[in-house]
Amino acid sequence: MIQLRSTLAGRIVLTVFATLILLFLALPIVVIVVTSFGKDAFGDFPPDAWTLGWYQQLFATGSKWPAALSLSALVAALTTLFSLVLGMTAATALVRSELPLRSAVYGLVLAPLVIPQVVIALGLFLLFEPASMLGSPIAIALGHTVLASPIAVMILMATLKGIDERLEDAAASMGASRFTVARRITFPLAMPGLVAAAIFSFITSFDEFFISQFLSSVDTVTLPVEVFNVLQYDVDPSVTAISAILIAVAVVALALVGVARRLSGTGKQDGLLPTEPAVGLTAGSETP
Amino acid sequence: MAGSVLAPKPAPAAAPTPARRARRLARGLSDRRTRFGLLNATPVVVYLLILFVYPIFSTLLLSLKGEDGAFTLHWYADAFRGANLEILLTTLRISAETSLLSLVIGFLLASAVSRLKPLLAGLVMLVVVVPHFISALVRTYGWIILLGEHGVINNVLTDLHVPGAPFSLLYNELGVVIGTTSVMLPYTVLLLYAVMRGIDRRLLAAAAGMGAGRVTIFRRIYLPLVAPGLVNAGVLCFILCLGYYLTPALMGGPKQTMVASLIDEQVMKQNQWNGASALGIILLLLTFAGLLLLRLLKSAGDAYRKRGATS
Repeated sequence: MIQLRSTLAGRIVLTVFATLILLFLALPIVVIVVTSFGKDAFGDFPPDAWTLGWYQQLFATGSKWPAALSLSALVAALTTLFSLVLGMTAATALVRSELPLRSAVYGLVLAPLVIPQVVIALGLFLLFEPASMLGSPIAIALGHTVLASPIAVMILMATLKGIDERLEDAAASMGASRFTVARRITFPLAMPGLVAAAIFSFITSFDEFFISQFLSSVDTVTLPVEVFNVLQYDVDPSVTAISAILIAVAVVALALVGVARRLSGTGKQDGLLPTEPAVGLTAGSETP
Repeated sequence: MAGSVLAPKPAPAAAPTPARRARRLARGLSDRRTRFGLLNATPVVVYLLILFVYPIFSTLLLSLKGEDGAFTLHWYADAFRGANLEILLTTLRISAETSLLSLVIGFLLASAVSRLKPLLAGLVMLVVVVPHFISALVRTYGWIILLGEHGVINNVLTDLHVPGAPFSLLYNELGVVIGTTSVMLPYTVLLLYAVMRGIDRRLLAAAAGMGAGRVTIFRRIYLPLVAPGLVNAGVLCFILCLGYYLTPALMGGPKQTMVASLIDEQVMKQNQWNGASALGIILLLLTFAGLLLLRLLKSAGDAYRKRGATS
């Protein structure tokens, strides 16, 4: 192929810049993981001595972290459930049927990704406050689902588009009911997409801060809200360990998506790793 | 199969008369595929109407209601006065600085990656994508550790005897912009990378073959091809910054208060819901303005290209 030859100097400069930028992205994460094992939490970097003490402190008696962790896990599990149900039905409607006002529905589904989260959180607060549902895990999960469902819909739409519709038609023509087709054909083929949608819904909720902040009460505080409070008001070195755990959760989740993608065999199923608002949004009115 | 014939795509048809539209709707509803679609679309639509559209609508109503319940605009007047106006302007300033920085850095990284071999490019993009899925709160905390007076960055700079070190990098605008940029950067890189990967590099080689210099190629060929991506990424980044809370709240000083922090304070500490609602609606309108701008620029760009192609 014909290529524009680049000068050596240009390449070196670009490489140096790119490396610096990658450091810029990775450094804040690396520093937390390393510091969480350091004996002196706010001392030199890299630490002189190592310890697992901060992790032990997380689960010591009287620690507030286990409660926050289990609340976040509960909320994230509920969110995953809600957003999978909404995502599957919505993706089916958008990809596998003639839908009147299709682009309006699609726009509505993606809208939560661009609307400022403060506005969504404020609106939800005004909705749940009069119902005295603040602090209820269900309310927080319902709120998180507003953010998680667009991601699930996008992933599952890409998945459904990747499944040959003729397989479903063939099964239906041989007498399989709509339910049987879904159970025996579509569902197994969509499995990697479902796994990805579930995982992304889970971490969206698990890491979500602003809606939780508005919908939590004094006794029900999710993990990110607790971390924020610690960072803003009192200094507790064990927050480094909990941050490292949050990093680990995200990395494991991404690795699982990668595994699901590999197991699906196709390896090229688009949209399993959504680049989120970015792509969906600027595509604007994507073509069906 | 009949469905695709019966229910026409929402093509830019001449506005149908109400009678015709009703007939088409009736025919469409009787179609099995359409009913199946409506049935499946119902959960998400109902859900979002109740938990997304209605709450925002009630925010709008609240922002227009005075203490006595009558219609008023004075919450909006308040928002554009004194300290609140300053916060609004700060928000616009920090969003602009952040999106500009993300755009420049994102451009450099994306253009470097788009020249790499696929395997290496994949690895580099992993470094971009993985942080994107790690909690922004945690990444902000990482920056707080890095940028403190005795943090890693300052220690390195002091050891290198950089004049003026240690710098104050935290709890000021520099800190906020650094932190927010690192949160926004994955968006710009991903958007620009997608555009750059689609560029036919033979065009650049052709221009070079016809004697164009590097600067000319960049200015006349590369930049116009990347421009739509730059506009997209810039405006999107700006919109996302407008309502951003975490990093400015944790890394900023009193002069970096953004609108989201103000809303949070008004709701949580002052119980001032109406004022908070007005601020929220202002953010929403700014977001819509950004999206509209994007749409207009896109159609202007398309028209320009079409004219260039025909002439």
